[in-house]
Amino acid sequence: MTTECKIGVYVCSCGTNIGKMVDCDAVTGYTKNLPGVAVCKSYKYMCSNPGQEMIVKDIQRYGLDRVVVAACSPRMHEPTFRAAISHGGLNPYYLEMANIREQCSWVHDDHQQATDKAKALTCAAVKRVPFHEPFDMQSVPMNSASLVIGGGVAGLTAALELADANQPVYLVEKDGKLGGNLARIDLTSPYLDSAKDLLAERICRVTKNPKITVMLNSEVESISGYVGNFKAQIKSNGEAVTDIEIGSIIVCTGFREFDASKVGEYGYGRFPNVVTSFDLEKMLKEGRVVMKDGKTPKYVTIINCVGSRSGKYNRYCSRVCCMTALKYANGIKSAAPDAFITNLYTDMNAFGKGCEDFYRRSAERDTIFMMFDKHAPPTVSAAGKGEHFNMLVKVNEILSGEEVEIPADMVVLMVGMEAREDSMNVARLVNISRDKDGWFIESHPKLDPVATSTDGVFIAGACASPKDIPDTVAQARATTARILAKICQGEIWVEPVYAEINEDLCSGCRVCNELCPYSAIDYDPVKKRSAIISVMCKSCGGCVAGCPSGAIKARHFTDKQIFEQIEGVLEWASSRA
Amino acid sequence: MDKKKLQIALYWGAACGGCDVSVLDTNEFILDIAAACDIHMWPIAHDGKYKDIEALEDGFLDLAMYNGAVRNSENEHIAHLLRKKSKVMVAYGSCAHIGGIPGLANTFTREEIFESAYLKNPSIQEGNKTVPQPQTEVDGGELTIPAFYKRVYKLDDVVDVDYYIPGCPPAPEQCKAVLSLIVSGQPLPPKGSVVGASERALCEDCQRKKDEKMIKQFFRPWQIIQDPEKCLLEQGIVCAGSATRSGCGVRCPDSNMPCRGCYGPMPNVVDQGAKIISSVSSIIDSQDPEEIDKILSGIHDITGYAYRFGMAGSLLQRSVR
Repeated sequence: MTTECKIGVYVCSCGTNIGKMVDCDAVTGYTKNLPGVAVCKSYKYMCSNPGQEMIVKDIQRYGLDRVVVAACSPRMHEPTFRAAISHGGLNPYYLEMANIREQCSWVHDDHQQATDKAKALTCAAVKRVPFHEPFDMQSVPMNSASLVIGGGVAGLTAALELADANQPVYLVEKDGKLGGNLARIDLTSPYLDSAKDLLAERICRVTKNPKITVMLNSEVESISGYVGNFKAQIKSNGEAVTDIEIGSIIVCTGFREFDASKVGEYGYGRFPNVVTSFDLEKMLKEGRVVMKDGKTPKYVTIINCVGSRSGKYNRYCSRVCCMTALKYANGIKSAAPDAFITNLYTDMNAFGKGCEDFYRRSAERDTIFMMFDKHAPPTVSAAGKGEHFNMLVKVNEILSGEEVEIPADMVVLMVGMEAREDSMNVARLVNISRDKDGWFIESHPKLDPVATSTDGVFIAGACASPKDIPDTVAQARATTARILAKICQGEIWVEPVYAEINEDLCSGCRVCNELCPYSAIDYDPVKKRSAIISVMCKSCGGCVAGCPSGAIKARHFTDKQIFEQIEGVLEWASSRA
Repeated sequence: MDKKKLQIALYWGAACGGCDVSVLDTNEFILDIAAACDIHMWPIAHDGKYKDIEALEDGFLDLAMYNGAVRNSENEHIAHLLRKKSKVMVAYGSCAHIGGIPGLANTFTREEIFESAYLKNPSIQEGNKTVPQPQTEVDGGELTIPAFYKRVYKLDDVVDVDYYIPGCPPAPEQCKAVLSLIVSGQPLPPKGSVVGASERALCEDCQRKKDEKMIKQFFRPWQIIQDPEKCLLEQGIVCAGSATRSGCGVRCPDSNMPCRGCYGPMPNVVDQGAKIISSVSSIIDSQDPEEIDKILSGIHDITGYAYRFGMAGSLLQRSVR
């Protein structure tokens, strides 16, 4: 097979992206003399229509049976060129890309060395491509039902969106009622709409919708299967177990608030009138902002960034607290019109629609803003005997450079958002990853923010990172767009590149069983063999490397192909010597 | 000399002698061998001289079974000689197959080996300065001994090999089966085959119960009282069984010792040691780098575990210091 291959090699200069550092003509000149290369050309933009057409025409003219494109990362344009050679009549997997942009021109500043490396990588691709095998895409049926985990505003929105499109939904909520964290909130910033209004209508529609099965006091016990074909067990009220079959899963498990008692200098738990933002929400919902003794506070200090943007606690910004603090200044002013309100902040993050205006309006309502260094937070102590206020807040105000002492009857701590304590369990359950702070990781932070590394599992809202309500709702709706698109197709096309276990070589040692991050490996105790569920496999190669018996092969990444690639690099090196 | 009989020779290169003994270990079958074969050389049992072999016509021998690795020029010389004189050349035992225990010396340079063996060894006379030299001038002429190579080779590094019989030593039953096949005159397997061994790993034949593997601590066999029913690797004992061809009869795990890997890599595997290392590191039950280091520190001499038999035949081959 190898000697008979006719390989076409196409070297892209990507405008000046590659051409400014790599001598593409030199790469072409070197490559065209390699064994098996029938034609080698360079072009300014291989991914453009004329570039692709050149490949298609050459496949016919030269009778090519393999194609190498030396250009950008395969993550960028492998699908483009696979489609092109498929159009030219070749199996799409007869393509190999040599990455001479991200791995050459963009990371080197020496023309000669970058060109040498481009030659080596291209030679490696030419050596590898004859060993490529043809594959066809595979399809699996798509179950149109979905499981939504979490009944907060994200889960409610996603469930409604799917049900409105006439698709069945199971909405599982751990708590005894729907609404999640939003149900703990009084008004929403920046327009001071009632959170209750936002929720009540949704909860009402959800509970009445025949397409939605609401399961309260319920938790997902186990999930098996793969995209389009999941099976889940739901445990309700601690005992009854329901088995359901679904095609997609949306995780909307939200956040928990930072535990303010961790920050000793703020005295939460020590001083009765140091409260968290959620404590205050409760008072605002009840319509009375009062101290523990039932009196109305005269001096209220709001401290921002509690547990957020800190080297000691969470390093990230929780995004919603600044605007919520402004909302409190307004709310307290309404409940206690005589109160003096001071807002201590590190930076006022007022991005988002309507937020800057809200900040300006709040500043006009007699709230005093003081800025502190996040590395030197204020301290709260008891006021001296005989004072007409009960606490003293000391802060280094950095705009004036002065140390300021502020009297306080009540201190409100703007606690940040944290990943829930059970996020690890949820991640394991649905097979997705968490970042260092425990937030679920999206497939791509910009281009694929609601998908995850597991096909068919989506994330929405504050379980992925701190978020406000509009972003949460937008994400929830985005997940449903992704799911409905798959339901409309009726079946799911799955990459044919996956790992497979050769039953004749597997000895059932089970080393691979715990290795798969996608739970794609099953062990058959009767046959005493492990097997890979191909549609769940992402071809990461973990089990291939781990299999001590060499029984697992990654399609499209075989040992032979990789060794040939290495040989190619060495061949280039020896041609130079 | 009955020409109808099979003409055979056995030889040991850099070997311990165990392979030669393993042929004797076929017990009374040895009488069948003697009846069916003319044995021209067999260091442990038969007094064949090099000059006798040299005197044979090329291709005269039906079968040469070479055990031991190629450590010095004599080993290589006889390998070439036997290859020339035989129709079928078999690499017999781990050392000829993949380098074996002598191959572990490839992690040291020749100079280090000489220093340790001849200069700084507590069992030699203090102040000794003599190390072996290929040629030495003495009164009356020059003395020569075989030259000690920089590294150990497996047999097929120096001559063309037809078949491999793995094991340290090969199990006598396997030796018997292969010799019976050759004596019977039945068609032989394709050239290059590993014979007298299974195409599956040892776990296939090991009766211990296998479960998912999550290791928190590694042990040497004497450090724990093991569960005789349970997979040794799951108990934290580094067992090479999953990376090693079966065929030995599960001798070690059945005696409560981990598989040492002597039957060599599986058919699809290029580097057995790399497979052992990557599989062992795959089953460590921790995400914490410090804890992982601690767990790994329980494995003493990972090179020795993973490449106990396969160093010379591995991708690494030798130290290049």
